[in-house]
Amino acid sequence: MEDIKSELKYTATTCPYCGVGCGLNLVSKGNTLLGVEPYKRSPINEGKLCPKGATCWESVQKPGRLTKPLIKKGDKFEEASWDEALDLIIKNFTEISKKNGPKALGFQTSCRTVNEDCYALQKWARVAFQTNNVDNCARICHGPSVAGLSLSFGSGAATNPFEDVLNSDLIVMWGSNAVEAHPLAGRRIMQAKKAGIPIVVVDPRLSPTARLADKWIRFNPSTHIALANSMMYWIIKEGLEDKEFIKERTKGFEDLKKTVENYADAEKIHGVPLETVKEFARQYANAKNAVIIYCLGITELTTGTDNVRSMGNLSLLTGNIGRPGVGVNPLRGQNNVQGACDMGAYPNVFSGYQAVAVPDNRAKMEKAWFMKEGSLPDWYGSTLTEQINDCGEVVKAMYVLGLNPVVSYPDSNHVKKMFDKLDFLVMQDIYWNESCQYADVVLPGTCFAEKDGTFTSGERRVNRVRKAVDGPGESKYDWEIIGMLGKKMGLKGFDWKTAQDVWDDMRSVTPGQFGVTYDKIEKPEAIHWPCPTIEHPGTPILHVGKFAAADGKGTMFGIEYRPPAEVADAEYPYTLMTGRCIFHYHTRTQTDRCAALHYDVPENYVQINTLDAKELGIRQHEKIKVTSRRGESIAIARVTEEVAPKVLYMPMHFANGANNLTNTALDPMSKMPELKHCAVKVEKITEA
Amino acid sequence: MTKKGDMLYAWTSDAEIQKKAELGGAVTAIWKYALESKAVDAVFAVTKGVDLYDAVPVLIRDPKDLAKTAGSLHCGTLLMAKLVKKFLDGANNMKIGVTVKGCDAMAFLELAKRKQINLDNIVMIGVNCGGSVSPVVARKMIKEKYDVDPEKVHKEEIDKGQFIIEYEGGHKGISVDELEEAGFGRRSNCRRCKMKIPRQADLACGNWGVIGPKAGKATFVEVCSEKGAKLVDGAIKSGVLATEAANPKGLEIRGKVEGAMFKLGDKWRKHDFEALGEGKERLKKIMSETARCIKCYQCIDVCPICYCVDCTTRNPAYVPPGELPVNFMFHLIRYAHIADSCVNCGQCEEVCAAEIPNALFMHAQQQELEKMFGHVPGTTMELPLMAYVEEKEERLRLHNTGSDMIYENVFKPVPKK
Repeated sequence: MEDIKSELKYTATTCPYCGVGCGLNLVSKGNTLLGVEPYKRSPINEGKLCPKGATCWESVQKPGRLTKPLIKKGDKFEEASWDEALDLIIKNFTEISKKNGPKALGFQTSCRTVNEDCYALQKWARVAFQTNNVDNCARICHGPSVAGLSLSFGSGAATNPFEDVLNSDLIVMWGSNAVEAHPLAGRRIMQAKKAGIPIVVVDPRLSPTARLADKWIRFNPSTHIALANSMMYWIIKEGLEDKEFIKERTKGFEDLKKTVENYADAEKIHGVPLETVKEFARQYANAKNAVIIYCLGITELTTGTDNVRSMGNLSLLTGNIGRPGVGVNPLRGQNNVQGACDMGAYPNVFSGYQAVAVPDNRAKMEKAWFMKEGSLPDWYGSTLTEQINDCGEVVKAMYVLGLNPVVSYPDSNHVKKMFDKLDFLVMQDIYWNESCQYADVVLPGTCFAEKDGTFTSGERRVNRVRKAVDGPGESKYDWEIIGMLGKKMGLKGFDWKTAQDVWDDMRSVTPGQFGVTYDKIEKPEAIHWPCPTIEHPGTPILHVGKFAAADGKGTMFGIEYRPPAEVADAEYPYTLMTGRCIFHYHTRTQTDRCAALHYDVPENYVQINTLDAKELGIRQHEKIKVTSRRGESIAIARVTEEVAPKVLYMPMHFANGANNLTNTALDPMSKMPELKHCAVKVEKITEA
Repeated sequence: MTKKGDMLYAWTSDAEIQKKAELGGAVTAIWKYALESKAVDAVFAVTKGVDLYDAVPVLIRDPKDLAKTAGSLHCGTLLMAKLVKKFLDGANNMKIGVTVKGCDAMAFLELAKRKQINLDNIVMIGVNCGGSVSPVVARKMIKEKYDVDPEKVHKEEIDKGQFIIEYEGGHKGISVDELEEAGFGRRSNCRRCKMKIPRQADLACGNWGVIGPKAGKATFVEVCSEKGAKLVDGAIKSGVLATEAANPKGLEIRGKVEGAMFKLGDKWRKHDFEALGEGKERLKKIMSETARCIKCYQCIDVCPICYCVDCTTRNPAYVPPGELPVNFMFHLIRYAHIADSCVNCGQCEEVCAAEIPNALFMHAQQQELEKMFGHVPGTTMELPLMAYVEEKEERLRLHNTGSDMIYENVFKPVPKK
């Protein structure tokens, strides 16, 4: 931009909410944020925004921001100096690690914050304490995608860009309500619809996305595998599989074929009429280019990884992968859920998915990070949810950057209880949230509008985040706080001056992103990784000609259907599904501070079918009580046909809401808790 | 002495401006004079952001910075008036000079009617505009239709019906008609636009009609107000601007260009409005398209007619909050409140995340209302019904009187104490 002294400043940056990575302009005057204006130059969203993106500036400078480090003394939090707070953290973490070993510490970072923060935190955990107990909240959204897609294709990321749906001949949205959860990816579906591309939405609920569909397939909650297997049975039975593709590029077909033999008619499991299944199977197999877009409807179950692999199976069986218009695309929930994983804030890999178990990888990192040979651990660290479950017994101290576990993790009461068992807890955040009261030290970080950095969107595009205004009070860049901790401990390699220094530190040890320099992502086209060299243009589409797996093959798996961990029974006769609504983001720490969003959805609600409401005598918008084996929640009833009888839907955003009810049972492969499915009962609230 | 109605050729006599100026640099010269003479406190202009496809507004006080602003960016689709309302206190606290396209000029008038911009503190230099192209569309168009890497383009212009690019190794022009046939080209509202020479501004400038020895070296200036005349005189006196009377033949040519543009606008109006159908068919189309709305409120946010703090779309009696799909009443409220004054600036359509052709719907309705009532928005300060009351004052009156009759003070003015 021309060097002009303008009193009104536009800062082109990336939206802090979902994984689409929309560009927007923050408008400021001096250090005051005034608003958001469209960034029409961005190829991702062309200036268009959803209700959250358009108001994302509002929460930044509202009262309630953390401005000083706080230390808990007795029952009260007192303001402290940075030195005091950081020394206390170092003292406790060092002592606990000396006494109980590296597994006694847990580090958790947010997928909402920039890559640079995520890289910094995992580096500090590994260098300072030789622990792999570092994870991010992808664990409870797309952990199964990383696990499942890695097994199927050799890479855990989305295969094709959002806009590429316009090159498809058939779009399948499976367990994705993009219109609400990823609105500007939803816009691509709207564009596709206008262009006449057929859309099939597979969802138990008539979501706003399902309303766009040419064909909406309602199935019983959490029966994905049965439905996919049945489709594949008919594809094979009718000889519609892509035989050449299977032969040339895949393995595991026989295993798959054998397994799906038993699913010729699985209607009694998934509830979809056989003819519909056959028709859908033919439509998918016969389409020249068919893409599957899925989301948390697939992943947040104890069968999450297998559900993801079932999507992989479908695409491999029909050769729908590795070119424009096809693919298997998870819509990543948070702005930087891709990035947080890419940065190595993960218990078994360094940045760029370099496995900690491989001695060469450890040796390389030890050298780059000025560590003693053989000092980095090779063991699989404890995951986010396991760390919580292990509080007290194994994990004694925890460092939480930008998360609100007592609201966003499953079974809030359990999380609170476990936090109480910790000897020492650090929360680093921008606002005081519900989890802070369990902390010993609370540190003020900075939000997206106050720092430079990068977010990696769901299409593996590394988008720039640019600073528009200073953070409040004594708040600091989050990577800067980690850098201070490292330096105070006398560690080398933490002397970053800018976000770009952190990024370049990461690049130097991450082959897949070495070519993604700040210079190259100055324009909003940015770069899709992998991008191994400076000259490399990036890779919008994965698996072209060859899969990312070591043997270059895609793998099909025979996968049996398993019911959810807890299903409706006589005592808890309703199935509760959870999800998002367009007006809020996660625990509402930011969105509820925006007047327009608060106006639209100020309170928890639950969708209930008209027949059920009639049976229970529940009126529209009446407050009702929903109870599971773990807790209860009060919510406004939205009586609707959008959910089937005996199925409820509650948004995930409210404290004492959905996560009072959700189940902590884990997907054995990815440790994903079953947030999308549990059994509940419904009661009228009797007037006192 | 220059006076309202004068038709001039103008060019800068300032050596610095001459170096960078296009078409004689008259506009830059006048702004330089305006800043130096304190005729304005600041100039609200547009500069290139990350490249020439990215128009960024800047508020300039230092005349030296004027040279760094962009000439015309046809891929810039900003609406300056709403930004003045939102971010510059509606020009209530400073005198601002703004270079405006037709839609900007119309928007300034509409916001001023509603007391949201203080027009006394605004100086407008209008520039002829044949339409603009959304940046992402422009880049795709250059890649696909011109077979040129959009990164290599360093200049673009629309001239003689062609969109012309200059790039490393050459230049290429393709007729706008051909581009629009292929689904590229100008925004659809621009295609329908008939505000080509913004005479609501204090000066209306452009290159249409500059012929003879001055062709390419001077700007055509139509003096549209006393304020404009004073500005030109001052600039001449201060030695930054020189003028001569426009060649009458040039004036005629300018009229012809404008006339041709009107014809093209009419053609597109016919095309777009007929495709909407009439009566129930049209309603059905509007209902089915708006059913995709995700309630981002951006059409309201960018609209130069909307300014209410307590927007009626947030009245739960009309539009149930927190629900998708959004109740159709949301859109009906917009039509009822805006359609009589829609200036077809296209912003509501460009920012719509749900691909709803908002501007088309609103413009179509505005045209129907214009036929019925003869009110033409954006051209004079004549008030439409909805602009008779200012929201805050009116809400206060309703609150104090307990009345819900918004218009009773229009038809039955409340006697002043």
